[in-house]
Amino acid sequence: MSNQVYYEDVLEGQDIPSIKKEVTNVNILMYLSTVWLMDRIHFDYLFATQRRGLPNVVAPGPMGGDYYAQLLSEFAGEKGEVRKMSIQFRNFMVPPDVLMCGGKITRKYIEEGKGFIELDLWLKKDNGANCAPGKGLVRLPVREAKTS
Amino acid sequence: MSVSLLDELGWKKYIGSDTGSCTGEPVSARDIRRYALSIDDPNPVYFDDQAAKNGKYGGLTAPLAYVIWAVGVPGSEKGVKDLGEDGLASFIGVPEIPGVWTLGWVRGGDEFEFFKPVYVDDRVTVNGKIVEMKEKDGKSGKLVFVTSEFTYTNQNGELLARQRVTMIGTPRKES
Repeated sequence: MSNQVYYEDVLEGQDIPSIKKEVTNVNILMYLSTVWLMDRIHFDYLFATQRRGLPNVVAPGPMGGDYYAQLLSEFAGEKGEVRKMSIQFRNFMVPPDVLMCGGKITRKYIEEGKGFIELDLWLKKDNGANCAPGKGLVRLPVREAKTS
Repeated sequence: MSVSLLDELGWKKYIGSDTGSCTGEPVSARDIRRYALSIDDPNPVYFDDQAAKNGKYGGLTAPLAYVIWAVGVPGSEKGVKDLGEDGLASFIGVPEIPGVWTLGWVRGGDEFEFFKPVYVDDRVTVNGKIVEMKEKDGKSGKLVFVTSEFTYTNQNGELLARQRVTMIGTPRKES
């Protein structure tokens, strides 16, 4: 079964399917453990709030990049590829934020026979604020030229 | 006219300098699986051998942005007493230039270009250099912006990814 999206199937201005991400202490700890990151602002509540003036422990910013990478990988599908992704950190992701991770196609073009899609990306909290604006570049497969 | 913090620190001469090279241990299936779980990525390719073999890369690969962690966090594997107060010994993205820990750092942003994924068992090498430094006056003090570029390659010398990281530093308050 293929849900593959092709270059011809999408339009500039169109939103791509979004994903929901919940920021939890447990996910943060899983991430820190796997990458061996011991920065106390991510797991030590007293340190984060009293010593660093943060509202709570905060998720590592790169997790937002991982959410964008997943969003773009799912959009690209088996036959596409994620070429570029960028993220700017504006506000911390904080438990128990529930984020909508999504994007909008801003431009599509053919270059050397390949189909490219540029996107603006967002990680939106409940209040609609984009806590980490991003951009993506995905190559989508181009359908064979059809004879009419 | 306010004094330039970059001039005070004497950092402009480090623009263009190497941040050093580091090679990680082989990436394990466990690393990949746990990373995918931590970011709630349900894609079966990270958890199931057959799905990985049938998938686009023909084998088990890590989520794309994992590449930055595949080298380990250089210098971070230290005992508690050798870590700074915040739990960090070093932090990739903040080059080890004199005076760097007199500032408190937050990550401003990342830009990635992906070429090849990290496969299980890959040994990933990172090379980096400082490419830009800027400063401005923020609401609560001076800010410096240090941008570094990192290149990630595998054991075959193949280019996996390029990354630009901007770190934002501000003088630590007297405690």
